Amino acid sequence: MATLDLTSISKSFGSAKVLHDISLAIEDKEFVVFVGPSGCGKSTLLRIIAGLEEATSGQIFIGGDDVSDAHPVDRGISMVFQSYALYPHLSVYENIAFPLRVQKMDKPEMDARIKRAADILQLTDKLDLKPGQLSGGQRQRVAIGRSIVRNPRVFLFDEPLSNLDAALRGDMRVELSQLHRSLDATMVYVTHDQVEAMTMADRIVVLNGGRVEQFGTPMELYHHPKTKFVASFIGQPNMNLIPATVLGTDATGLSVEMEGGHRLVLPVEATSVATGDRVEVGIRPEHVTPGDGGFEIEVNVLERLGGVSITYGKLRDGTRFCASLPGDARVTEGAPLSLAVAPEDCHVFDASGDVLRRKAAPALVA
Amino acid sequence: MMDRYTKLQTAGIYAAIAVFLIFILLPFFEMFMASLRPLEHLFRSPYQFWSDDFSFQAYSDMWVTVPLLGRYILNSVYIASMVTLLTMIFVVPAAYAYARLDFPFKNATLGIFLGVNMFTGAVLLIPLYRVLRTMGLLNTYWAMIVPGVAFLIPTGIWLLRSYLEKIPRELEEAAYVDGASRMYTLRRVVLPLATPGLIVVGVAVFIGAYAQQFLFAITFNQKRELQPLPAGLFEFIGYQDVTWNQMMAAALTGILPVMLIFLFLQKYLVAGLTAGAVKE
Repeated sequence: MATLDLTSISKSFGSAKVLHDISLAIEDKEFVVFVGPSGCGKSTLLRIIAGLEEATSGQIFIGGDDVSDAHPVDRGISMVFQSYALYPHLSVYENIAFPLRVQKMDKPEMDARIKRAADILQLTDKLDLKPGQLSGGQRQRVAIGRSIVRNPRVFLFDEPLSNLDAALRGDMRVELSQLHRSLDATMVYVTHDQVEAMTMADRIVVLNGGRVEQFGTPMELYHHPKTKFVASFIGQPNMNLIPATVLGTDATGLSVEMEGGHRLVLPVEATSVATGDRVEVGIRPEHVTPGDGGFEIEVNVLERLGGVSITYGKLRDGTRFCASLPGDARVTEGAPLSLAVAPEDCHVFDASGDVLRRKAAPALVA
Repeated sequence: MMDRYTKLQTAGIYAAIAVFLIFILLPFFEMFMASLRPLEHLFRSPYQFWSDDFSFQAYSDMWVTVPLLGRYILNSVYIASMVTLLTMIFVVPAAYAYARLDFPFKNATLGIFLGVNMFTGAVLLIPLYRVLRTMGLLNTYWAMIVPGVAFLIPTGIWLLRSYLEKIPRELEEAAYVDGASRMYTLRRVVLPLATPGLIVVGVAVFIGAYAQQFLFAITFNQKRELQPLPAGLFEFIGYQDVTWNQMMAAALTGILPVMLIFLFLQKYLVAGLTAGAVKE
């Protein structure tokens, strides 16, 4: 197992620049998830780490060795593809054996490794079947089996769960987390699904437009998003963003007037804004409680999920607002609803989308 | 699919199909009928479509009239098989390269290959004759095999390339990441998956080779015992008369191997020829 360091990786396809100067330091045995909307360059970055694409500039170090020009095998990586990329004409055993056969490994050693992988992945009784006879989850496990028999230094996963249905995806998430723990391996995982990122990652890299928006632990991203993009990408449902005007700043924080006239004093570091600046106040739906806190919305749609009730509505000025309330909250569609939010739960973003750091927030990380 | 046609339209479609099928199949049928008749009945006037003295006599007489007939049939199969084998040896790596690799003049050369296909062998007979004479290949099997291979490689590349392009790239990337070389990937991953495509191309080449023999055989070969069937059929044209019934019988017997191949492999053929035509 090994560390993975990227220094100033850039990639262009013709005149289109898809990755801009990406530097990351991934630690040994860490589970890092690259997340971002489609087209953000996350898969390209993974393929560059794998050696399937060449970076236009920059270097890759695995375990301290410069592997920028090395073959995937010499890099010590293995990769699980979105489509699993199983060989349909070969049995499960032969699929898992493929990388070992390429190495011309001795039969007893190969058998032992495949048996161990099959044990870990509960495939022992499936070894003689063809991939076509397996369910989606089992195929996924075969693909993982093929990647673990070679004992790579870094595992790469390219959206491995996106072809599975929702229930199976939940199961596989848990399995992958367990696998990471039992293999004690460095893993890099690409997904567009923030739930996968939040649940599995030790640290998350949020990519947008070929740049790293933020690299941090899931809770760090949740509580201290650096940009508006990260804030609205992480968290379900998405954060509400309400336009506001700065009324003034002082030692306690920033006082703002939101569209619609509601005023709040927010405990954030307000050095970069001045009175009269336009900002946006970010409020997570789950931080809203029913009660007379000055927010009044007209409920358009109510989704009762059992444990929570998600209400979608509009503030007086027309800004869309979503609140995640207790399951039994007394809400009716079409009726007005008063809501409250604690000022310390609010995020503030300046006009360029950068956050004003919150003073009082849990899990403060430097 | 829903019923998109009215009864009348369906009837029209079937009528059209029938017309074309009859047009194509009637000669074969007539060949068969002619092969069953005694020779003198063939010249009967007025022509009788049905006679009561049909027999398979011609099918046994033909071996006597043309003693080398069996040899000719075997020659045909041998030449076509050799052409197919050699063509495939050249076509497989070439088609793979066209399907997966990037190299200069890729599209231009593909276009040239298509252009070559537009020449029939007949246009090039004289230059080919000189080439074969210089190489000392005249009057050998190679005289009929080498030009055959040359003319069939372009078709093979075009057919197989479109098939290979359908194989998901991720499979090859997975093999590459696992350390497999291009050749290993081709052998262990691509070709097994392309088997139906290989069969299609093989059959198409074999049939092509079978069909083109005649021209090369009568121009580049004068040794009787090397002649393939289409050239050998000439021997049914005697000084006195033409034993049409036996010639028809021999022709039918000769195309039997090709027909059998067609029957067994037709489902691959249809699937392969339309490969890549629709998004799956």
